[in-house]
Amino acid sequence: MLMLKLGGALMRGAVVSTMLTSLVAAPAIAAPPVDLSKWSPEYVRSIAGTETFDTAAECGKVTPLDYKGKLTFWYQGAFEGDPDLLRQYYKDFFVAFRKTYPNIDLQDQALTYNDLLDKFRTALAGNAGPMVVRLQILGGVEFASKGVLQELGPSDVGWTNDDFWPGAMKSVTWQGKTYGVPTNNETMAFIWNADIFKRAGLPDHAPETWDDVVAYSKQIHDKLGIAGYGLVARVNAGNTPYRFMPQLWGYGGGVFDEADASPKLDTIRLNSPESKRALQASYDMYVRDKSVPVSALTNQQADNQPLFLSGQLAMMISHPSDYSVMLDLQKKATGDDAVKAQTTIDNMRYSLIPTGPDGRRAVVFGGSNIHILKPEYVEGGVVDEPAAKAMVCFWTSPEWSLKMAYAGSNPGNLLGFKTEWMKTRLDNIKFLDVTTSMLPYGVPFPALPETPEIMNHIIPDMLQNALTGAMTVDQAAEDAAKKVEALEKGGDGL
Amino acid sequence: MTTTTGEADSHRQKPVRTSLLQQMWASRADYLYVLPAIIVMLIVIAYPIYYTIDLSFYKTPPGLLLKDKIWVGFDNYTAILSSDVVWKVTVNTLVWTFASTVIAFMLGYGAALALHRDFVGRGVIRAILIIPWVISAVAASYVWKWIYHSDFGLIGAVLVQMGILDKPPNFIDRTGSVLPSLIVVNIWREFPFAMIMLTAGLQTVPEQLLRAAKVDGANAWQRFWHVTFPYLGGVSTVTILLLAVANFNSFIIPWLMTGGGPSNASHIWITHIYEIAFGRQRWGIGAAYSVLLFLILMTLGYFYVRALSGAEKKEGP
Repeated sequence: MLMLKLGGALMRGAVVSTMLTSLVAAPAIAAPPVDLSKWSPEYVRSIAGTETFDTAAECGKVTPLDYKGKLTFWYQGAFEGDPDLLRQYYKDFFVAFRKTYPNIDLQDQALTYNDLLDKFRTALAGNAGPMVVRLQILGGVEFASKGVLQELGPSDVGWTNDDFWPGAMKSVTWQGKTYGVPTNNETMAFIWNADIFKRAGLPDHAPETWDDVVAYSKQIHDKLGIAGYGLVARVNAGNTPYRFMPQLWGYGGGVFDEADASPKLDTIRLNSPESKRALQASYDMYVRDKSVPVSALTNQQADNQPLFLSGQLAMMISHPSDYSVMLDLQKKATGDDAVKAQTTIDNMRYSLIPTGPDGRRAVVFGGSNIHILKPEYVEGGVVDEPAAKAMVCFWTSPEWSLKMAYAGSNPGNLLGFKTEWMKTRLDNIKFLDVTTSMLPYGVPFPALPETPEIMNHIIPDMLQNALTGAMTVDQAAEDAAKKVEALEKGGDGL
Repeated sequence: MTTTTGEADSHRQKPVRTSLLQQMWASRADYLYVLPAIIVMLIVIAYPIYYTIDLSFYKTPPGLLLKDKIWVGFDNYTAILSSDVVWKVTVNTLVWTFASTVIAFMLGYGAALALHRDFVGRGVIRAILIIPWVISAVAASYVWKWIYHSDFGLIGAVLVQMGILDKPPNFIDRTGSVLPSLIVVNIWREFPFAMIMLTAGLQTVPEQLLRAAKVDGANAWQRFWHVTFPYLGGVSTVTILLLAVANFNSFIIPWLMTGGGPSNASHIWITHIYEIAFGRQRWGIGAAYSVLLFLILMTLGYFYVRALSGAEKKEGP
């Protein structure tokens, strides 16, 4: 079991420091359901299975169970890289919702992470959006700032703000008001293959720092002729910023000061010496050492999974669900491939994300939020408010908040950590304790409407410009900083 | 009163002049038949064109809704025409369109000529050659992406296995080779279309002319150059224009295989417009870009219609 370095987490984890600040400033009220200051794998285990919740009864207080209505709902569904278990839980959720609310005519639509934003924006242009949407954490502030979303908070659907991570509540807050409820939050971990490490003559533990990642990747490539680290640098793919930003923040860089304890988001830092050092590390791996997949420029994490399983890739950043994915893929393998896959699974290890040279550890505080749109942006011009709140309550309930995040994420509702399913989950989902341990190091993306463009386009462009040699590392970082500056001033996007 | 035959003839032959309105009234039933189609066209084509042109004069920052757009006049057009990225993408588009069109046409021409003669298995070979054109472009893009994969692609695996290379070649993860690699895929998909068009055209070449030329001592090349080639002039022009328009507008292969990367090296106008409008939400500048694309394609379309009209006149009674 891993012990948290609490001092380090408090210094660098925006999540925990914000929570503590709010606790000190707040008047004496009931204690939050989960004590975030005690966060550790042991604490998480100690509270698992200590409370039971009746979702139907709780949501029945928000919307009567016999309510008759209609609801349209879009959400980010299971992705190609998700395990079969998650697909099953998605099916179970909608069966359970329809059983609990048999008189609500639900029309739901699942979209992939990359397509959801595109389709949602297009629909809004024609005032043809759904009543309720579950968006990735990157998207909420953009639409809140545009006035598309209704004000909505946990208390509107039977919960309280204290039931959710402070960092998650930041991601649904715009100009002091909340416009959604977090459904799940996750932080990723560092995955590595102990067998490859052994054969390459590396120590039996994960690299401690990002500089170590570069060195290990080179050694693995030089000794074994396989890729070391699973770099991804595809444009307009969420995987890219989720894997590069921990590196950028670890080195002390950032887009702005979003990784600081009290970010103001008013100074661009993409061209700082620290940010350039982070970019240089990627350049060293891709260009100088050639120790990462050549296809990194077009790869997503789903492309890294078969490489890792077949023993052709030694290290990558991902969710605990990747272990389940490996098991699913291994079942489909035959002959020698099945043997190789089993060896990889037996030697698969999870560790904390490496730190920068100054000991700074950071990871993207990811997840999703659920929102209700204003009627004028919905197809038909009407929002069935009780039906919409029923869906929000149901998805963010302790039970479903946990189940829908079962394999790859964590419940947005902290009460989910107390359910019986959390206990089962801890026993069945290997490495969950590691990714859960990363939560206090989570840094939310800047809460700005321009953030999707920064993360999905400017950051990957910067990586591609440096890695292809179209620009030097310095030029690529300066170019990216200029683009962010132009964006802040209302630039044309060319 | 009697009239001379000449005067009677001239009276009979003088045309009756009717106004345009009278002509239209006489054809009113025809207009009624096409009216529903025209209404649909106005709604789904004319209105979006008008809306796009209007939108091209506005700025739409990501922090604002579309209805709060800001009037900027011709600024979007100026920004496009002065952008280094747009000029890079323009060069990509011209290379993509020209290379895909010319090579697909030449390959299709060669295939049509080769398959014009009757031989055993001609039907099977013709059917096999049409396959690239009929399979889904989406499926083809994903398959080719794996064939080209820089680490574990089929081509790389074969070349390494045969000892020709010691590591797989980099087709689509390098700025210098990504566009030519995508052009190969596009040509593979497009040449069957040219083959079909030219095969149909070859049916119209009079067999007796070719026999007469042969009797007169013309060799194969001379028969082709002086008989076949002129006869295929009209259909060749139409085919080239159709290919050019299709290639200029070709979205699926570059978008799915590389998303326009790396570093904009495989962006063409249509994919760049998509990224700017739907990825970055610059609806105004995307609209301006689309208007420019529309003007170019309308120009190509004009020549296509002229070529088609010219071909019809030649086939006249």
